[in-house]
Amino acid sequence: MSHTASIRAKARELLESGDVTCVIGYEVGPRGWTRPAFIENPEEVGRLVWNQACTHNLTTYLPGRLRPGKNKEPAKPVAVVVKACDSRAIQVLLAENQFTRDQVFVIGVVCPGILSGAERQAIPEDGPQDGAPLQARCRRCPERVPVVSDTLIGELVAPPTAIAEEDELSRLSGLNPEQRLAYWLEQFDRCLRCYACRQACPMCNCPTCLFERDDSLWLGMGTGLNEKRAFHLGRAYHLAGRCVGCDECERVCPMNIPISHLNRMLAKEVEAAFGYRAGLAPVPGPLVTVIDRGEGRP
Amino acid sequence: MTASPGPSAAGLAAFEPKILGFLCTWCSYTGADLAGTARLHYPSNLRAVRVPCSGRVAPELILRAFDQGADGVLVLGCHIGECHYDNGNHRTAKRVPVLKALLSFAGLEPERLRLDWVSASEGERFARLVGEFTEALRLLGPCTWRASAPPLPASLTWVGIPPGADPAPGGAV
Amino acid sequence: MKVISVPALHTWLDALAREKVLIAPKEEAGVLLYRRVGKAAEITFPGKDALRPVTPIKEAFFPSTERLLLIERLPAEETGGPRRIRMSESLPDEEQVIFGVRPCDASGLRVLDAAFLDQSPPDPYYKRRRERSTLIGLACPEMGPTCFCKSVGGGPDDANDVDLMLYEVEGGYAARPVSKKGTLLLEGVELIETKGDPPRSALMDPVPIPDMLAWPPHFQDTFWGQMAERCLSCRLCAYVCPTCRCFDVRDEALPGEDGRELYERVRCWDSCAGEPYRRIAGGHNPRAEKGQRLRNRFFCKFHYYPQQYGPAACTGCGRCIDVCPVNIDITEVLSHLVEG
Repeated sequence: MSHTASIRAKARELLESGDVTCVIGYEVGPRGWTRPAFIENPEEVGRLVWNQACTHNLTTYLPGRLRPGKNKEPAKPVAVVVKACDSRAIQVLLAENQFTRDQVFVIGVVCPGILSGAERQAIPEDGPQDGAPLQARCRRCPERVPVVSDTLIGELVAPPTAIAEEDELSRLSGLNPEQRLAYWLEQFDRCLRCYACRQACPMCNCPTCLFERDDSLWLGMGTGLNEKRAFHLGRAYHLAGRCVGCDECERVCPMNIPISHLNRMLAKEVEAAFGYRAGLAPVPGPLVTVIDRGEGRP
Repeated sequence: MTASPGPSAAGLAAFEPKILGFLCTWCSYTGADLAGTARLHYPSNLRAVRVPCSGRVAPELILRAFDQGADGVLVLGCHIGECHYDNGNHRTAKRVPVLKALLSFAGLEPERLRLDWVSASEGERFARLVGEFTEALRLLGPCTWRASAPPLPASLTWVGIPPGADPAPGGAV
Repeated sequence: MKVISVPALHTWLDALAREKVLIAPKEEAGVLLYRRVGKAAEITFPGKDALRPVTPIKEAFFPSTERLLLIERLPAEETGGPRRIRMSESLPDEEQVIFGVRPCDASGLRVLDAAFLDQSPPDPYYKRRRERSTLIGLACPEMGPTCFCKSVGGGPDDANDVDLMLYEVEGGYAARPVSKKGTLLLEGVELIETKGDPPRSALMDPVPIPDMLAWPPHFQDTFWGQMAERCLSCRLCAYVCPTCRCFDVRDEALPGEDGRELYERVRCWDSCAGEPYRRIAGGHNPRAEKGQRLRNRFFCKFHYYPQQYGPAACTGCGRCIDVCPVNIDITEVLSHLVEG
C-alpha cells in the first residue's frame, strides 16, 4: 500500500472512532502545490497525500490547536503526520509542557527526503523524482525514521551512511570576525521582519514574542540593521538546544537569508558542550536546567 | 555596512573602552563595593549595573549593550555553589558561553564578552579583573559591532514653536 | 515606434544615476529586489525567470520603516523653566527615478494614492516622494503562472500608471512616453525610429473576480476558518503586496548624542494577518482567530477599501501566492466568492 493510502486509511480509522477530532496532514491544492491540510470529517480523508513536497513542519500547529479551552478544559486530541525532523519537535514541545502525549496521535512517516522547491510546483504523488535535488537539510539528515510515533508508515530503514558536510558552516567559521560581521550584516540587510521564520517554527510559540512587545521595548520595531540582526540572533539564541533542524525557517524566507546556519551552529555548540541533541527524548534542554552530576559546563 | 578600519597606534593610546558590567547583588557587587572601601584602584571604564543574580542577565541585555555601542560586557556572578538563589549562576554558566559562541559566529570578537565569578570578599580580585578586561579591550580597539545608523539631519526645522521662544517660524536648530 | 538600443539605454541610465537616485531591479543572493543602483551595469535586466521583484515598488514611497518626527527633550536649564519637548520633521527631498516598474506595481501606487494622497490631509511623506519620482515602466511579454493582473482591470502591458513605458523588442526597448515627466525624461536620449507598434503581451486565463457587493453575504461562511487553519499569521502577504499599507506608529528612544535626549516617532509596516494587529488596550482582540484575520484581509481588499476609497486593493501581481509558505491562494478565495 502506498504511503498516501496508508495515511488515508489511518486517518479514516481515527476520525470514525472519534479518537481524534482532526488529522493534520498534507494535501495538494487546486494549483497542484502541496500544503498543510486539516481533516475533521472522515469523508474527506481522500484529500490527504504523501509526496516528496511535504516540506512543512506540521507540529507548528500543535501548540495553538491544543491550547486549553476558555474554561481551562483540555483540548481534544489531534493526529499529525510527521517526518523524522518533525517528530523530534514533538518531543521538545512535550518537554516544555505545550501539550500531553495523549493529546497527539503521531502518524510517523519514514521520509526519503523532501525535494527542494517542490511545494511550489505540481509534482507526482509518491515515488522519488530522478535527478531532482533534495533539500539541504535532508542531505544532512542522520535519521529517516521518526523518533516517536503511534503508527509508522513505511519500512524501517537504517540511518543514511553518507551525510552531506556542513560546508558553508565551516567556511563561515574559517573567516575572521570582520568578514563574518560583514557577511551577516549583508544577509540581514534583506530582512523585512515579516516574521515568517518565527511563525513557521514549532518552537517559537510565545503568546507575544519578546521582540514584538511594545511595553518593554527590547528592540525597536523598525527595520534598521541593528534591530534585524538582534532579532535573528536573539531568536537563534532562544532556540539553542531546542531547534530540531527542520530548516523551515529558511525555506519560508523570501529573501534567501541563511537563517538555518545560526540555528545549526548553535545546535552543534550545544551538542559539543552538553552532549545534548534536541528532541531525541522528551527532556528539557540544558540551557534551562541546573548543572547536574554528569552534565557538565562548557 | 562594512566594519570600520582598525585603530592606529596613536588612536589606541587614546581609546577608552566603554564597558558595561552586570554585577550580582549578593557577591560581585558587594565585592566591587569592598574594592571601593579598601581604596583599591581600578579603571573607571566600567559602568556597573546591579542585578539580583547573574542568572537574571538575559542575552537580550547583552545584545542590546553591544548594539548601543559597548566595547565590552562583563558579567560577574557568585562562584558555583555559592549563589544566593541556589542555582541562578548555573544558568549563567551555561548560557553565556553559548551566547558567546553565537556572537562570535556573527562577527563579534569573543573576548569582548566575559563571564567570571567574584565573591563578596574578593575586592582585590574584582579590581584585578576589571583592570585586565579594560586593558584587553584597549588592545582590541573600538568595537565595530554596531551597524551605523543614518546620521541625524544636518538642519532641523521646528514643528510648532515652544512658548517663550523666538516666534520666527522655521528656525534652524 | 521609437526604440532605444541596449547600449543607449545603459548610457541613459548611467546619466540618470548620476543626477538622481536610480532604483532598479537587482538580484541579491538569488532574490530579485528593487534596489538603489549606482550604474546600469548593476541592474538585473529581465529574463525568463525574473518576471517581477519579490518586493513591490511601494517601498520607495512608503518605506518599511520611516521616521515621522524627531523629538528632543530639553533640560530645564535650556528652557529657563519647566522641561519641554522640541519636535522636528524632515521631509524626503531626493529625486527618484525607478526603472523596470512592472504594471502591477505601478497600479499599486494608484491604489495607495487613494488613501495617502486623495484624503485630507494627504500624507506629506508619501506625497513628497510621489511628486519627486519618475516611473519608467517595463511591460511583461507574458504573464506568469500566478499573475492575474488582467482580471482586476490591469494588464501586463498596461501603461496607465507609469510616466514612460518600455517594451522588450529585438535589440532594445520600444519607448512610449505616457506623461509629461516621461516625455521630459526621454529628451536627449538616442532613439531609433522603426516600423510597427510596441508588442502586445501574451495573456493567461482570466480569474473570476466577484463584484464588490458580493462579499457581505459571505461574511459568516465556514470557508474562512477552514482556509485559515494552515495560515501561519506571518506578514509576508501584506509586505509583498503593492497595495497593502497598514502601519504601526511608536515613539522610541534614540541613542543619546552628546548628552542630548532624543526620541523618534517611527512608523513601520504592519499587517492585519498578524495576531497582535487588532489587539486593543485592555487586551481584547476582536480578531483573535486566524479565520477572522484572513477574512478581514480579503474583505479589505475587495470590499472595504473600494467602498471607502474607490479602487480595489489588488493589482493581480500574484506575489502573495508566490511567497505564502502554506499556499493560501487569493485566486481560490475569489473562486469561492464567485461560485458561492
